[in-house]
Amino acid sequence: MIDPSKPDLEESVNVTEAHDRVVRGAAAAARENKIKENGAEPVSLTVMVLCAIPLLSAGWALGNAGTLFSYKDTVKDGYVRVIPADDEAGGPPPKDALAAYMAKGAKLYSKCSGCHGPDGKGDGNAYPSLAGSAWVTGETERLAMVILNGLSGPASTGKTYGVMPAQGAGMKGEDLGALMTYIRNSFGNKTGDVVTKQMGAAGLEISNARPKVGTAVTGEELAADHTKNLPGDALDPKTMLDPITLEPAEAK
Amino acid sequence: MSQASTTNPAADAARRAEIDRSLRHPVMFFFTSGAAWLAVAILLGIISSAKVHSPGFLDGVSWLTYGRVQPAHMSALIYGWGCQAAFGMLVWLMARLSRQECRAAGLILTAGHVWNLAVSIGLFGILAGKGTGIPWMEFPSFAWVPMLVSYAAIAIWSMIQFKVRPEGHVFISQWYNLAALIWFPWVFVTAHFLIHGFSGSPLMAAAVNAWYRSALVFLFFIPTALAAAYYLIPKVTGRPVYSYTLSLLGFWSLAVIAPWAGMQKLAGAPIPAFLPYLGAAATILIAIPAIAVSVNLLKTAASAWDTVVNSPSLRFTVAGVIGLLVLGFAATFLNVPAILPLSQFSLSGYGFDILALYGVFSFIAFGMIYFVVPRITRREWLSSRLIKIHFFLSVYGLLTVALVAVFGGIMQGQAQEDYKQPWENAMEYAYPYAVASTLSWCFLLLSNVFFFLHLALMWLRLGRRSSHPTLLGHAHHDDLHDATHGPEGDIDNAGPGSAPAHSH
Repeated sequence: MIDPSKPDLEESVNVTEAHDRVVRGAAAAARENKIKENGAEPVSLTVMVLCAIPLLSAGWALGNAGTLFSYKDTVKDGYVRVIPADDEAGGPPPKDALAAYMAKGAKLYSKCSGCHGPDGKGDGNAYPSLAGSAWVTGETERLAMVILNGLSGPASTGKTYGVMPAQGAGMKGEDLGALMTYIRNSFGNKTGDVVTKQMGAAGLEISNARPKVGTAVTGEELAADHTKNLPGDALDPKTMLDPITLEPAEAK
Repeated sequence: MSQASTTNPAADAARRAEIDRSLRHPVMFFFTSGAAWLAVAILLGIISSAKVHSPGFLDGVSWLTYGRVQPAHMSALIYGWGCQAAFGMLVWLMARLSRQECRAAGLILTAGHVWNLAVSIGLFGILAGKGTGIPWMEFPSFAWVPMLVSYAAIAIWSMIQFKVRPEGHVFISQWYNLAALIWFPWVFVTAHFLIHGFSGSPLMAAAVNAWYRSALVFLFFIPTALAAAYYLIPKVTGRPVYSYTLSLLGFWSLAVIAPWAGMQKLAGAPIPAFLPYLGAAATILIAIPAIAVSVNLLKTAASAWDTVVNSPSLRFTVAGVIGLLVLGFAATFLNVPAILPLSQFSLSGYGFDILALYGVFSFIAFGMIYFVVPRITRREWLSSRLIKIHFFLSVYGLLTVALVAVFGGIMQGQAQEDYKQPWENAMEYAYPYAVASTLSWCFLLLSNVFFFLHLALMWLRLGRRSSHPTLLGHAHHDDLHDATHGPEGDIDNAGPGSAPAHSH
C-alpha cells in the first residue's frame, strides 16, 4: 500500500476514492463484519456431562485392549466367536458319506487339476487321463501309492508320460481318502464306494514302509507289491456323516 | 507494516479486495474443478451403490465393475472434490487472516492443474483395472509423488503467509488451517511411503491403511472444515466466538486424540491386539472435540439465528457443524465394544465416511464457497432458488445416505452374526438400505449438478453485478432491504446512492 516514492506519506489511501471503488467493485468485501474478540463463556455442565459419555465408552474399549503396547499378543481371545459344541444347530447338516468325501476331495483336487485338468482328462501327451484309468478305478492301494509317491515309467495304458511328482507331503489319512473317493467317482468314473479316512491312514503307513521310500513308484513295483485294496472296513456310501469331521452323525 | 489492520474501514475493505483479487484464479479453479469432480464422484457413487442391490446393472461393462467403480467413486470424492475444495479454502483463508496477498497465484494454479492431471490419470488407471486395491490409495502407485509435489507448491505459500503475518492475534481458524496444512503431508507421506515404499508385512500395510483413512478425515478434512466454520460463523453473524475455553478444548483434544484413531477397522486381525482397541477408544473420544467445537459454534450462531437462516454460507456451515455433532455420536456409537463387531464388516463404515466427508466437510466447504466466490469474482450469486435447491436436496440426500448406511449397517452386521442363517440372509437385510442409498445418491447428484452449474456461471463472471448479497429469505421480505444494500433485484447498480434500477 505504501508508495515507495513517498515513504513518508502516512495516508496512502484516498478514503473517498477507495470507498467508492471498493463499494462498486468489491461490494462483498466492503460489507464484511470484522471478527470480534473471542467470548469467554465457561464450559457448561451440560458439555461436561456430554463429554463423559465418550470418555466412559472409550474406557470400556480400552478395557478390552489387554496389555497396552504389548507387541507380542496378536490374538484377542473371544473376538472371533467359537460356536459351542453342544449348540443344537451348530455345525452344518449331515451328508451321506459319498457326498461328504466327494466335497472334501473336490477342494483337494484343485492341486491336481493343473496337470490332469479340471475335467480329469489330462492332455494325452505329458499328463495322462484319470477318466477311465484302470489304476484309478482299480485297486485302491496301487492308486494311493501313485498319489503319495508320484510315478515314473509307463502308466496303466503302457504309455510313458512325464514323471509325476509325489503329492503326499502334508497329507492326512482323510485327505487321501477324500481325494481318492473324488477321482474314483468323477470324470465319468463311477466306483460308487468310499475310501475312508482309516483306509487313507493305512495307505500313508504302507507308503512310509516302502523299501524305496522317497522315490517315485514304478509300474513293476506296483504290480509286485501293491496290487490290492487298502485294508480297512468298507463304509456304506449312504451312511450320514458330519461333513467337517467325517464321523458318523446321528440321524435327526 | 502497512498491512497491519488499520482503523480505516475503507482501507481495510480495499486490502481485503486486493487479497481476494490476488487469489482469484487458483481459488476459483480449485472450487470449480472440485465441484465438477464432485458430480463425477456422485455419478460413480450411484453406479456402485446400484450394483450392491442389483448386481446385473451395467454388468457387461468391464471398466464399471464394482471393484473398479467403487474405488473410483471414493477417489474422485476425496482427491478430486475434497482435497481441491480444501486447498481453495485453506489458501484463501490463510491469505485473508494473515492479511497477505498471494504472490504465487500462477504457481498455485499450475500445481492445481498438476494435481488434477494426477487425479485424472489415477482415476483412469482405476477404471482400467490398474488400481492398487488399497482403499483410499487406489490410484496406481506412481500417482502419489506428483500429488505430493503439487501439494507442496500449493501449501507452502500459506505457511509463509502465516509466518509473515502482522503481529498480534492468531485467529482460531488459523490454528486449524495451519494444522491441516501440516498434518496433510504427514499423513499422506507416512501412509504412501510405508505402503508403497517398503515391502513390509502386508498385514501391517493394511493397518497403516486403516490409520490413513481415519487420519485423512480427522487430521485433514475435519480441521479444514473447522478452520472455515470458525471463520464464517463469527464473521457473517458479527458475533464473538462463544467460548475461548471450548475452542482450546476442541482444538487440542482433536490434535491429541485423532492420530491414535483408525486401526479399529482391523479388530480381530492378527496385528498386536491392543492396536484395534486403542483405535476404537480414540475414535470414540473424537466425540469430545466434536461436542466442544459444535457447542461452541452453535452457541455463536444461535445468537444471530436470522442471519443463519438468510445467509447461504451460514446455512451450509451450520448444517455442517450439526453434522459434526452427529459424527461425534456416530463415532462413539459405532465403536463401543458391543457394536464394533457389527459395524466392522457392514455398510456402517462407508456411512460414517460419507457422514464425515459430505455431512461435515462438504457442507462447510459449500458454505465457504458461497462466501468466497462473490468476493473473488466480484459478482453476486445468481439465484437464491438454486442455492435453496442445493441445500435441501443435499440435506435430504445426506441424511438418507448416512443414516441408512449407519443403521442399515448395524442391521446387516447383526444378520451377519447370525451364523445359523445362510449368508444371503444378511444381504437380504441390507437390500432395502442399499436401494435407499442409491436413491439418495440420485438426490445428491441432482443437487450438485445445480451447484456446479451455478458455480460455473459465476466462474464465467456471469454473476449478478450488484452490491446486494443473494440471501435465502423470502424474495420480497422488507427486512432484507436495508439502506446499505438497496432493494433486492437491483441489478447492476453502482452501489448505494445510485438510482434504483426499478422502483420497488
